[in-house]
Amino acid sequence: MAVKIKYLERPKLTNKERILFIDFIKGMQITIKNFFKKTITTAYPYEKLTPPKRFRGTHGHRIKDGKEPPSFKVLEKFLEIKDGESRCVACYMCQQACPVPELFKIEAEQLPNGKKRLKRFDMNLLNCMYCGLCTEACPVDCIIMTDEYETASYTRANCVIHLDDMVERAKDYDKRRFNEPDRIWIDDKERSKLWGQIKWSNN
Amino acid sequence: MELLGVIVGISLKALIFIIGMFLGAAYLTWIERKFAGHIQQRPGPLHVGYHGLLQPIADALKVLTKEDLVPDGVDKFLFYLASLMAFVPAIMILAVVPFGEPFNIFGLEIKPYITDLNIALILALAFGSISIYGVIFAGWASNSKYPMIGGLRKAAVLIGYEVALGFAMVGPIMQAGSFSLKEIVEAQSSYWFIIPNILGFVVILFAILAETGRTPFDVQEAEAELVSGYNTEYTAMKFGLFPLAEWYIATFVLSAIAVILFFGGWQPFPLLGWLPIPGIVWFFIKVFALFMFFLWVHWTLPRYRVDQITELAWKVMLPLALANIFIVALWVIIVG
Repeated sequence: MAVKIKYLERPKLTNKERILFIDFIKGMQITIKNFFKKTITTAYPYEKLTPPKRFRGTHGHRIKDGKEPPSFKVLEKFLEIKDGESRCVACYMCQQACPVPELFKIEAEQLPNGKKRLKRFDMNLLNCMYCGLCTEACPVDCIIMTDEYETASYTRANCVIHLDDMVERAKDYDKRRFNEPDRIWIDDKERSKLWGQIKWSNN
Repeated sequence: MELLGVIVGISLKALIFIIGMFLGAAYLTWIERKFAGHIQQRPGPLHVGYHGLLQPIADALKVLTKEDLVPDGVDKFLFYLASLMAFVPAIMILAVVPFGEPFNIFGLEIKPYITDLNIALILALAFGSISIYGVIFAGWASNSKYPMIGGLRKAAVLIGYEVALGFAMVGPIMQAGSFSLKEIVEAQSSYWFIIPNILGFVVILFAILAETGRTPFDVQEAEAELVSGYNTEYTAMKFGLFPLAEWYIATFVLSAIAVILFFGGWQPFPLLGWLPIPGIVWFFIKVFALFMFFLWVHWTLPRYRVDQITELAWKVMLPLALANIFIVALWVIIVG
């Protein structure tokens, strides 16, 4: 199939525009307006922005503190978890959901009393793409992504995160932002004010 | 003995001018970066010193201590010569630029200019044309395609704009009846030469933008097309001299000449003559304002194509400059 080419006329300048350089002046008005505006940058190492709550930063492990979802109550009796410990039930769902599953190193053991206990939960963040699928797969809302984004490190070894520091990270994150609403959108009221009402069909 | 005194005095003055211009150019880079930053709603240099005031010094140290690479296959002599050829003529124009009237300190008469030649303007034009060799040599000697294209583009642009620039300068010369920049300024004590010479001033604005390679006419660098243009193969201080010469010293000196020709040099602003401000300060205020105007244009406009630039030079700017001469001639006959 032959490609059709459409030729467009270049808009012609009027004589006034041509003589007085109106286009130049318009552009220069914009730049001088910007010159007197406030700068919008952040002096990064000295000033840090707080990302929104849904930001996908370094992972954390929520602890058993009574705020668990109902599914945890069902699984709890099979596990040996004390208060203040990670609420992970070692179900490997996060690893199943992960696009790069080998970055997880999860191990659990069976105690003499027959209960299951999490031994190890390592994540190699060098391979992590921060997609957040692990947090969505978690049945007990244990693995979360916090708002920490400064993940650079001098050694590869430091890029692997472990159970205890993930617990600490989630504790800190929940202390700061647990009660913050988990939405980045504005309210429906304001939205309808701005862009009009939606209308459902009458059945 | 008197000759010795003159030589010592002039060398001392020249040294002061050169060092002053160097430091001034260094801080013009700071001003440009701040201005460009704020136009794009970012603060520019902020970290080194108060609001980045020590940044030019840090940059100078960086450029001076960098490894000075000379690529294989370059024409060594021209390669070294080019950076000097771009830089020296630009600063040589300063020799004829008068910054103010002679004044007395401790009974010693100090002239704030190096020399007052009767062909000053022609000398400035000549040095302006020599500085183009720096760019062409750099393009040729680098033995690389991007510098070559950049150098030739600059040559094509300059041929057009040198002619227009020369003709546009004729107006003030006709009115003052002299090539000496000092006498041109003195002739403007009643009114500035911008009044009949408005067309000439427009031509000079464009010619300065083209000559110093600032944005609407920066085809010789054209970083989106030519890497960095004629200075692609340069490193360290040899590289540093090119932008310093073109963007700062040449722009500043040519702004000074434009101010002298059209805005009355060190004469005060109209109706503000009663202010206790010395002439030299008035001069710097005007030059600085014109320099900032060039920065403003630079950081606003996109680049013209090469053919558009040369077309503009020959088809618009040259006729405008000639028309300016005609208008000024009528003005001289009628007004006197």
